[in-house]
Amino acid sequence: MNLSRRRFLMGTAAVGAIPLLASCVGSGADAGPSAGAATTLTLQSSIQDAGPKAAMESVVAAFTGPKTTLNSVATEQFRAQLSTYLSSSTPPDVLAWYAGSVANTYAQQGLLLDVSDLWAPGGACAKFSPALKALSTAADGKSIFVPTSYYWWSVFYKKSAFTQWGIQPPTTWDGFIALCDQLKARGIHPLTNGIGSTAWMTSGWFDYLNLRINGATYHRELLAGKHSFEDKQVTDVLDQYKRLIPYFHPNQTSWDAQQAVQPMVNNEAAMYLVGAFCTQYFPKDQQGDLDFFSVPPINPAVPSAEEAPTDGFFAAAGSKNPEGARQLLSYLASPAAQQSFIQKSGSSNMPTSPEVDTSTFSPLVQKGIKLLNETKEITQFFNRDSSDALQTTADAALTKFIADPSDIGAAQRNWQAAAKQVFTS
Amino acid sequence: MTAGTVARARTTPPDDPAPERRRGVLARVPVLVWVFLAVPLAVELFWVFWPAFNSFSLSFTSWKGVGAAQPVGLANYERLVADPVFHTALVNNVIWVVGFGGLSVIGGLGLAVALNRPGRAVGFYRSAIYLPMVVSLAVTGLFWRVMYQPDGPIDAGLHGLGLGEWSRQWLADPDTALYAVLIAAVWRQVGYIMVLYLAGLKGCDPTLEEAAAVDGANAWQRFWRVVMPQLRGVNTVIFAVTVIDSLRTFDIVWAMTRGGPYNTTQLLSTYMFQQGFTLVNLGYGSAIAVVIFLLAIAFIITYLVRQSRSEDVS
Repeated sequence: MNLSRRRFLMGTAAVGAIPLLASCVGSGADAGPSAGAATTLTLQSSIQDAGPKAAMESVVAAFTGPKTTLNSVATEQFRAQLSTYLSSSTPPDVLAWYAGSVANTYAQQGLLLDVSDLWAPGGACAKFSPALKALSTAADGKSIFVPTSYYWWSVFYKKSAFTQWGIQPPTTWDGFIALCDQLKARGIHPLTNGIGSTAWMTSGWFDYLNLRINGATYHRELLAGKHSFEDKQVTDVLDQYKRLIPYFHPNQTSWDAQQAVQPMVNNEAAMYLVGAFCTQYFPKDQQGDLDFFSVPPINPAVPSAEEAPTDGFFAAAGSKNPEGARQLLSYLASPAAQQSFIQKSGSSNMPTSPEVDTSTFSPLVQKGIKLLNETKEITQFFNRDSSDALQTTADAALTKFIADPSDIGAAQRNWQAAAKQVFTS
Repeated sequence: MTAGTVARARTTPPDDPAPERRRGVLARVPVLVWVFLAVPLAVELFWVFWPAFNSFSLSFTSWKGVGAAQPVGLANYERLVADPVFHTALVNNVIWVVGFGGLSVIGGLGLAVALNRPGRAVGFYRSAIYLPMVVSLAVTGLFWRVMYQPDGPIDAGLHGLGLGEWSRQWLADPDTALYAVLIAAVWRQVGYIMVLYLAGLKGCDPTLEEAAAVDGANAWQRFWRVVMPQLRGVNTVIFAVTVIDSLRTFDIVWAMTRGGPYNTTQLLSTYMFQQGFTLVNLGYGSAIAVVIFLLAIAFIITYLVRQSRSEDVS
């Protein structure tokens, strides 16, 4: 605090006191591993949907290693306090969260346990795909994440409704637009979405249009701050997005992601670009009726790409029981635990372990597995490929753009100004 | 309370360089009394002033909640000045203080005067109007979100009245969203203000009003010239409560719109929460909190000073 003392002496009382005040808090929590080993484990989870939460409880109860306590925390609170959990002197040993940029940021700060041995031959994750391994590896080459399930994004529709309307899933972008026009002319809302309290749903279409027009490489770089949101490439994306706006159900701005399935249930809307988690929002008797198609290619020059958000676990570097934490992670990554979790949770998640017997999974999930196996590039989702802070800039920019798409240039300028704050702060 | 805290707190009073004569009086106060005074002081200092002071100091740093906070001087405040969302939040807060304060005071006073008389079912009306106050703001927000839903009760009511073209997406339309939330908040607050005014009206001397009536004052004059001056104490309380309530409004906006659509219903408190706790920009969030604190203090102190001055004069 040399600087602060000098400034304190030099400055006026008010200004000079600032750095002195600044030294009062946040002077650094020590997250170093402690010597005393513990015999129990804590697993902190943010899973709140009823099915997956019960499934997690039953999977943890079946763990035969050290006695494990499962804490379920509301997602918002978990997100906000994750850094506090990890840097506290007695952190939870294992935490359920997302793969990608958030995990890598914490890894850079040395807060995550190195679990490279789980990825080494003979480890629990040894047979996972190279794409998953890349996703779970931090910048310094250490593996810090254990993915246990993932899901895909696509345009979902009801087979019975398409049959009733006498239409087929489109295979080209022009065919998709023509289908939307045809449906709209018949008084059916071609697309539904829920961008009210779940404004991040606007990013689904942004991500896919960017992937289809500019490709996965540009998309990742844009989200990492290597390109400007004022680029010509982003203009192209928003031009296509603007074409789609009239096709959305006008109530999309009031709905959340779950309410948005309502017009599809009633055959008032036809298609919904959403993650596979949407299946649990449909009534039981309609879940078998659901099918999906990938967003059709727009620019034939870019390789195919799909969004597949990956969920899983990491362990805190400060865990008092690192061996126990590795044991628990290995158990959670095992084919039996993955299968049990996915089947009990009733969601349409897919296992990361190739050893899970997927023949009993629904045809929809089988088709999802095929989709991701055949695609060239995999991204996750806007917030997972960038940060929650950049996601809020996308929420504001895209919801505003959807309300008034007349001035694309201004929308891009405002977005870039907000994004710059995120990358520089 | 540990002995250590007490001992630490007891060392604080001698900072005050009191005049000799007063010191003589103070010396005669038994030690036990000092201990009893020091305990609440220590509790207050530790649990109220220390966290508040931390918030001030955090606002001069950049801190993500991990590692050491980086001192950044006034950078957070410079960023506030340039931040369009902060400007929106500030303007919205002005609208909120005026709208929420004005409507709930006018409504509450009107209802209190109307219900401050014996009559059938007055008790029922009073409790019915006070009832929303019992429900938490978050629940109020959820309830009103259902009311405002597309094709929900409010739209249905407008259709029933033949005003179908007035219906809109109340919470998703930037032109109406803030006011839609405002109405929900006033709906809840009005009963509270009414109860405060009812208590004040009970304390008014009815003979004064009768005397004024005999002197030929009409109802309007009697209310403004005779009753209102007697409500001055209640008015002070209501002003303070209303200003503080409107500056700290958070839950109902968060429950209904989360500051959306695209930040158009952001208040200082919701923006502070979003920055501080959703995005974990603790330094920037603290800077917004300091602004809220200064606004509240400025309002309250100005009002209390004016109030005490006018009391000294009269």
